[in-house]
This record gives sequence, C-alpha cells and structure tokens, in this order.
Amino acid sequence: MPELTATRPESRTGRRRALPKLFWALALTLGAAVMLFPFLWTVITSITPDGTLASGPTLLVEDPTLDAYRQLFDAMPMWRIVANSFWIAIASTLFQLITGAMAAYAFTRIAFPGRQAVFAVYLATLMVPLQVLVVPLFIQMTRAQLSDTYFALLAPSIASAFGIFLLKQSMESVPRELDEAATLDGAHHLRIFAQVVLPLTRPALATVAVFAFMGSWNSYLWPLVVIRSPELMTLPLGLATLQGQFTTQWNVVMAGSVVSVLPIAIVYIFAQRYIIAGFAHSGLK
Amino acid sequence: MSTAPAPVASRPRSDPRAASPKRTNTRRRGWRTLGWALLFLLPSAIPLTAFTLVPMISSAWVSLHDWNLISPMEWVGLENYRELLADPRTWDVFANTATYILGYLPLVYIGGLGLALALNRAMAGIAFLRGAYFLPVVTSWVVVALVWQWLLSPSNGLVNTVLGAIGLPEPGWWTDPTWAMPSIILASVWKDLGFVMVILLAGLQALPQEVLEAARVDGAGAWRRFWHITLPLLSPSTFFVVVISLINGFQVFDQVNVMTDGGPAGATQVVVGQIYDLTFRYGRAGDASALSWLLFALVLVITAIQIRGQRRWVTYA
Amino acid sequence: MTPHRRRAARLLATSAVVALAVTACSQGSASNDDPTDAEGSGDGQTTLTYMNFSSNGGNEENLALVVDAFEADNPGITVEVETFPYDDYFTVLQTAVAGGTEADVFELNYENFVTYALNGSLAPLEGVDEAAYKPSLLEAFQLDGTQYGLPESFSNVVLFYNADLFEAAGVEPPTADWTWADERAAAEALTDTATGTWGDYQPISFHEFYKVLAQNGGEFLSEDRTEATFASPEGIEAAEWLVEKSGTVMPTTADGAGTPDFDTNLFTSGQLAMWHTGIWMFGPLADVDFAWDIAVEPGNTENASAMFSNTAVVSARSANTDAAQAWAEYLTSSEAMVQMRLDTGWELPPVADESLLAPYLEQTPPTNRQAVFDSLDAIVLPPAIESQTEMQDIVTEELTEAAAGRKSVEEALTSAQERVTALL
Repeated sequence: MPELTATRPESRTGRRRALPKLFWALALTLGAAVMLFPFLWTVITSITPDGTLASGPTLLVEDPTLDAYRQLFDAMPMWRIVANSFWIAIASTLFQLITGAMAAYAFTRIAFPGRQAVFAVYLATLMVPLQVLVVPLFIQMTRAQLSDTYFALLAPSIASAFGIFLLKQSMESVPRELDEAATLDGAHHLRIFAQVVLPLTRPALATVAVFAFMGSWNSYLWPLVVIRSPELMTLPLGLATLQGQFTTQWNVVMAGSVVSVLPIAIVYIFAQRYIIAGFAHSGLK
Repeated sequence: MSTAPAPVASRPRSDPRAASPKRTNTRRRGWRTLGWALLFLLPSAIPLTAFTLVPMISSAWVSLHDWNLISPMEWVGLENYRELLADPRTWDVFANTATYILGYLPLVYIGGLGLALALNRAMAGIAFLRGAYFLPVVTSWVVVALVWQWLLSPSNGLVNTVLGAIGLPEPGWWTDPTWAMPSIILASVWKDLGFVMVILLAGLQALPQEVLEAARVDGAGAWRRFWHITLPLLSPSTFFVVVISLINGFQVFDQVNVMTDGGPAGATQVVVGQIYDLTFRYGRAGDASALSWLLFALVLVITAIQIRGQRRWVTYA
Repeated sequence: MTPHRRRAARLLATSAVVALAVTACSQGSASNDDPTDAEGSGDGQTTLTYMNFSSNGGNEENLALVVDAFEADNPGITVEVETFPYDDYFTVLQTAVAGGTEADVFELNYENFVTYALNGSLAPLEGVDEAAYKPSLLEAFQLDGTQYGLPESFSNVVLFYNADLFEAAGVEPPTADWTWADERAAAEALTDTATGTWGDYQPISFHEFYKVLAQNGGEFLSEDRTEATFASPEGIEAAEWLVEKSGTVMPTTADGAGTPDFDTNLFTSGQLAMWHTGIWMFGPLADVDFAWDIAVEPGNTENASAMFSNTAVVSARSANTDAAQAWAEYLTSSEAMVQMRLDTGWELPPVADESLLAPYLEQTPPTNRQAVFDSLDAIVLPPAIESQTEMQDIVTEELTEAAAGRKSVEEALTSAQERVTALL
C-alpha cells in the first residue's frame, strides 16, 4: 500500500519502505519527464540554428547557438518589455495579497450583516468572461483619461475574487480557538489578522502570489486593447508581434517563449518554500 | 503561542464601561463590527466595483442593444436574448462546453489529488519534481498547442504511431469532430494538473498532523486514514478546486482558440469562443453580451447549488 | 503634459526597476520624447498616429523608410506608427473606435472597408490626385462616388510550380492557356505517394471559393444583393474542383494541411509540384535549391484571379484631417513609397504609371514575373457585405465539412447559401 496520507516521513518506517520509495521516485521522475517534455522541446528548438518545426522535435542539436536569443533582443526593446511585465506583475501580486487577505479575513472572522450576499457578489465577478468586459472597461478608462497608462494595465488586477476565495478557504481552516484566545487577551481585529491568522495562512498566501503573478504575467487581451505606446508594451504583446514577424523562424519564437516561462518557474520554486513551510512552523504543536 | 481552552461559542465580551442599557450596547457593537468589516473589505471592494462590477453592468446594458462597436448602439430590448434562445447554435456551444467540463473536471481533480499526495513527501529533488509538474501551468497555450498538435497528429504523431504499433485504431484526433473535444480535454488536463496539485498540496501541508498521528497510533490503515481523515480535512481545498474549476471551465477559451479554433465543424466551439467571435469578428457585441449573461445565470445557479450543498461534505476547522 | 501622462509619469517614478529600464532603452524610443498627443502642441508641430497590420511580419523597417521621408518633406508633422499582428488588429481597432481613440490614419483591407465606410467612421477624402492611382484600385475604395480610402498596395495570387519536378516527370509546365483539366491531369501525374510528393495545394476556404466560382462563371450574390446564389450548378462544380483535390492530389487536414507553415515547408522541401499562393512568397522562396516559376491561375470557363489590396483611411474624428490626408496620400502615392516597395518586394505600389514597375519585372526568380500583371487582366474581388467575417467563416466551415467527407458538396453549399442569405 503506497503512502496515501499526508505525513512527513519519519524514522519508524525504516527499511520496510525502501522499495516502495524507490518505486515512487522512479514513477514521479518518469512523470516529470513527460511534463517537462514540451518545455525541453521549446528550449531545444530555441537553440537550433534554422529552427523549423518541420521534422518534429529532436533531442540532439548539431550546432547549438544562442542566435535566436540575440535576434530576439535585437528585434524589440526586450529589456524594457520584460521590466514592464515584471513590475506590473509584482505590483499586482502585492495588491492582491493585501486586498485579498483583508477581504478573506472579513468574510471568515467578522460577523457583519449581509456577509453571505457580499461574498456572492464577489464570486459573481468571476462569472462574466473578460472578453465581454474588455470593451466597456476600455471605454470607462478612456473617459477617465487613463487608457494607455501603467495604471490601466494594473487596475483590473488590484483585487481578485479568485485569490480572496482561496484565502477564505484557507482561513476557514485556521482553528478559531486561536483568535478567540487572542480576543480574550484584548487584541483587536488588526492584531488578530496580522499576528494570528496571516502567519497560519502562509501556504495559501504563497499560492495566491504564484497565481497572481502568473495571471498578470500572461495577461493578453486587456493589455492588447488598452496599451498603444510601445514603451508600455508587456511580454505577451511582444511575443505576439514576434510570431507575426518570424513565422518561419520558430527558434526565435521559442526563445521568446523560454524568456516568458522562466521567471514564473523561478517565482514558483521560490514560493514553494513558503507553501511547504506552512503549518509545521506555526507553533501549534 | 499556546492553545487556549476552546470556548464553544464566542462569548459576549463584557464591557465594564458600558453603563447604557443592553440594546444600545448591542447596537454599538453592531456599528463597530460594520466599521471593521468596511475597513477590511474596502481595499478589495473599491477596485472590484470600479473595474469589474461597473463593466458588468455596462455589458448588461449593451445586451439590450444591437451594437457593432463602431456605430451607435440601437435599442432592441430583450430581442437579443430571444434570438439566442431560439438559435440552435447557442445550445450547441453550451453542450460543447458541458462536454468539456464533464471530461475535464473529474480527470484533473483525481489526477491533481494523486499528484499532490505523491509529491507530499520529503525526498531528494522533491522541489525540482514539483516544479516540473507545475511547469505546464505556466507555459503559454501557444507552445502547448504546438506540442499537442504534433503529439496527436493523425498521420505521423507520436500517439498514433504507438497506437498503430500495438494494433489499436488510430483516431483523427483534432481533425475528427468525435475526437476533437477529447483531444482538448486531454491537453487541458495535462496542462492544469499542476494547478490542482499546488492548491491541494497547500491544503495537505496545512493539515493538523496530530490528528493523523492519533489515527496512526490507533492502528488505522493507510487507506482508512486517507478516506476518513485526509480527504474530509482536505474538503475546503477540494471545494475551492471544484467551484473554481467549474467557473473557469465554463469560460474555457484559450486552448480551443489555439488548438482547433472551434473546429472541425464547430465541434469544439465553446461559449466564450462564440462570445469572442460575436464581439470582435462578427460585430455583434449586443448578442455577445446577452450570451455572456446567459452564461452568467447558468454559472451562478450552479455555484449557488454548490455553496448550499457544501454543508453536507465540507468540514471547516 | 496631459493629466494622464502626468499620472503615468508619477507611477513610473515610483519604480526603480522601470527607471533603470528607461535609461537602458532610451535609444529604442528616442522618437517618442515629444509628449504631445494627436491634438498637437503650441509650437505648430502636429503628431499623427497611423495604425496598421501589414508591416507586421518583417516590414516594420520598410514602413519606417516612408515615414522618415514624409517627415523630412513635411517638417511640421510627426507620424507615430502603431503596428499590430493581423490576428489582433481588428480587435484593437474596433475597441479603439468604440472608445473614440482610433488613430488619425489607419489601415483596412478591402473586405472590411465597406463596413467602416457605411458606419460613418471614415472622413471623405477630397482633392486627391486621382491620376496617380491605378483606376480600378481607386474605385474599389469609393462608396456612392465618394473616396473614403486610398489603395496602399496590391498583391495577387498566382500558380507557383516546382519546375524540377515537372521536368523529372516529363510533364509540360503550366502556361497561361491552362484550364482546370490541364491542372488536374498534371497534378495526378505528379502526385507520388511513395515519395510523399503531392501534385497540388490550394486551401479550401472562402477566399479560394469565390475565385473558383468566378472561374466557372458563377455568381456569389444575386444582382440586388439580397440573397446568396453560389449553390448553383456552377458553384457546385467549382466547390467539387477544390474539394476533390483533398486526399487525391493534395494533402488532407489529417496529413497536416492547415497547420502553421505546412504548405510552405512542403513546397520548399521540394515535395509539392503546384501551389496556389500569393506573390508575397517571392522573398521567402528566393533561396530554395530547385527551379521554380509562376503562371496565371488556370480557369475553367473563364479566367479569374484574386487580388488583395489594403487601404489607408482617415478617421472621421481626427483633429488633423488635413495632415492626416497628406500622410495617407504620401503613403499611397509618393515616389519614396514606390521606390521602397520595388526595392523590398513588399507588395506592389498601386500606381497608374506601369512603366514605374519595370524594375520589378527585371528581377528573378521567378522568370515569368509578367504573369503577376497578366493576372490583373481578369480580377475578381471578394463579395463584400456588412457581416463579412461571419460570411467567410460560414463558407470555409461548410467547405471543410465537404472536404472531410462529412457532407456532400451539394449539401454543404446549400447549407452555406442559406446561412449567408440569412446575413444579408
């Protein structure tokens, strides 16, 4: 019987489990190879000299070259584009963490009238597709003289009901005994929020951070319509232009895609440490 | 921090300064609660209202008009809704979307849960493995679609080469209306496994270890512990995954757009694909808005049912 | 400084990352230092915006040549170019028009021109030097006798062929006298499944269908444009001509047809004998290692070739219609533009004086460049209606159904005809 429950490994299991352990390591590595395959293909195509897709993927490149990356950075102001994407993604992640954690706290810890109804409205904001909101939002921004600005890029991702919902679920799992104890000690909501609930919600906060960063980093339709100045261009817009420009040069297109994937992969690996730290460090034991 | 004796229900806090009658006291506490609620909610409520709710209301207004985006709107009342409900294509796109969800949701949940359980262990290189499984989530659909189109290519794709070698039939995958939707489901599950994994992994990491430990000491087997302890304790995360996957599933679009563009023969045209085409390609923004409000109504009802139903199976701490 | 620029500037200042990026990339955006919008500022300098899709795909720098020449000739005017990929262009343009922020001058293709002209989004162009333009192209962008757009360029579709494959198989290469029957015979002779060589490639789509319909003497719409008439016997024969190629002399979608670059790769790898495609492929094919040439596309009962033309239009809301029109005229008729297009082979200039095109004819490959102009003797333009894209999608979808064998050609066309009539 494989280990199905959520436990950290422990000494008691010992030698008896060495074999299943090896099996799991093998199975998981094999699975990881399947998941990594498209990304490997992307990397390999990006360092292939002529870069066509005609013959399907190969694992060996005869004359690996970084030409595609050079072409990529020559074709457009790549550093500027990456910097734009970065700072918008970081800002929207921070905003979403703050607005999201506070809202989730209100929904789980403050018994205000109409709580259910307000949460329903929040959830409802996820249910109308962006494709139909883009035009009204654009007109609204234009009337406010805000279109074609960094603010316009950022505005729709200051708060997200997705993150609020995820954090709410996580805060529901934080034992109420803890904040009630703090209440008895005379703490008010801001202190309970900051000192009791937030530290215990770290895995969820890290998860929300990853998704918020990713959402902003990959956002396409809204930046497409709201940004007209080349100086404000973000990475997905740049990559789309690239695809029109280098249709037969897939190595350049793939190099662009590597540049776009790497930062989020790094953000995830970084955030993982917090996702995993979680409850174990909460001091509950 | 130490665990205090658990009060069963929140005790009314006695306020020594309160000399006024009990009712005023309650009312004042009511105002104070509201004040706290506002303080915590406004930072999210203001941007959500300005940048989502107001455009939503505008789109409801648009849905009562004929509008091609470039000429003035023309009032038609509920005509757009009437036409949409009478149009068999509307039912087709909803049916295609439902097919997608029915295939996608169980697979991605079970797969993601399995992955989360398997990766919830300490072993050498675990961080790398988790990263590997998460990579497809962050890779753009354009690249993923290229890979899957090649894998599932009917004539020389890897999958059909293998199927042919072991004597199984070789379907036309994304060129055959019967197999096009399964192809999209397969690619989507593959891409989103990491998403479900990350959320469930965070949930698993937050489980109180002493409960599991107690069960182990009591001699409960692995399967019993999983079924009776881990799974119920994970239910808030599961609830989140199911609700969000349904909301997102009804709005599936990117993968369809890049893999089949709704074809062959409209077999993979989904609701949001139709909304995009109506708005930006066919100059029928009024119809598109009406269609998205039909979608809204459906998703709202389904989500409301789930929230009502959660009492039966979701256990909060 | 307008208020929103100032706000943007403040946001900018808050981020050290961006501040760094600004210094790092300042040479890349040197032309954008002037903070004025299209309205212009006090010093008499006018800034125009020009939105286009056709320069995306490697011609950005060629367009910049024309912009530079215009700015040198018109010291008071600056042109800011906004280029979007074709797939996104109309999404951006429509949203911009809805918000009232479209560029002063923007680009439209022939099919979308009618929609915008009918909706009053375009400024009428008066006092244009009509003698400079090829008359048929100029007329294409008039509505009820008013000029609303100027032709930027044109390109057309011809029959490309791999001369080496023809020679190896001992088949006579295509000539201007060919009909469908000749093309079919050659395609059958040249298809060799053993070596994976295909005889022919012609997309099964709206843009091919309206053309082969005309090659067979059929009409797409009735005279009064109230109903579609393409499911006629001529239409069915024309659609069968397209559809029957699939799987016999031409790869099917299951073979990969329709995926990115599939046809280009097939032709450049020497596995395709005949290819119906546009003259914009001359550049990419310049370096292939086999002999190739072109011919006028074969017709059946008559000859008919497709032509594509993009137009520059002036927004009715532009605050600088005079300057905008000056740029539109320069972009479409100036010597700098003619020179640039001839030098770079980026489509053909829409000029009346054909002698200007002599340098184009002298270049090889292909040897038979004259076929590009011979094709213009029998041009058929796509039917243009208000619900253009929807009509195109319907026709392509139904033809694809027929090609996949899920519907008979007659069923598919009848259904397409009904659905298109419903749009009119």
